[in-house]
Amino acid sequence: MAKLDGKKLLACCANGAGSSLMMENAIKKVMTKYSIKPGELRHCAVSEGKSAARNYDVVFCAKTFIKNFEDVGPNTTVIPLKNVMSDKEIEAGLKEAGLLDE
Amino acid sequence: MSTVLQEIVEKKHYSFIDGKDVTWQEAVRLSALPLVADGSVSEDYYKQIVSCIEKYGPYMVFEHNIAMPHTTENPIGAFKTGIGFMVSNELIDFGEDEDGEKKEANIFFTLSSVNSDEHMNNIQQLSQIFCNDELIDALAAARTPEDILAAEEKYPCEEED
Repeated sequence: MAKLDGKKLLACCANGAGSSLMMENAIKKVMTKYSIKPGELRHCAVSEGKSAARNYDVVFCAKTFIKNFEDVGPNTTVIPLKNVMSDKEIEAGLKEAGLLDE
Repeated sequence: MSTVLQEIVEKKHYSFIDGKDVTWQEAVRLSALPLVADGSVSEDYYKQIVSCIEKYGPYMVFEHNIAMPHTTENPIGAFKTGIGFMVSNELIDFGEDEDGEKKEANIFFTLSSVNSDEHMNNIQQLSQIFCNDELIDALAAARTPEDILAAEEKYPCEEED
């Protein structure tokens, strides 16, 4: 079973409408590639994500928003992305966090 | 169903500008004008996008000099879901990102989102377009609406799922 099966994933951007949706699509691509079935995958604005983050296992955000997630707590992994549509970056980030097997 | 690029041409949501000495704020305003023209967004809609970039930096500028200026869903001044497409003959300077990397754009996809399903569909198609390097190069070279359609015909995006 993949480590991310059943995990809750969140993608955040400033408005929760554009970049975060693109991120969600890119994350989906990675999940499909590795046959992972996350428990939840959604996107929202940083304002909402800031408080919601601690209820998620992994939070993805554009690098510029990383400061908003400084106090998410030990159970949440935050993965900042330079390019929000890069499935390669998402893969690399997950691998680095030890959440994705080669 | 028509693709987003076909829709852009059908609805005349496109513009081609001379980008010499154009600031990014002005470029964002110009990119929204075709949407203003048919009442998709208000004249002031672009100002919210400008404030967002001023606040968070140019994170809406992606690889391959693609800018996707947008705000939230159902923002003030947005009346129809749509995409304003703009090509500039010169790169528009958006300053630097948080890593000090220069961000520039010559292709703009400016979004207005009112209807969730339509918007979702737009974003999904845009994700594919942005990853299609040949299509992006052809779009950057486009100077007429016919060029947009020809580019898509030559370098179509693969259907997903």
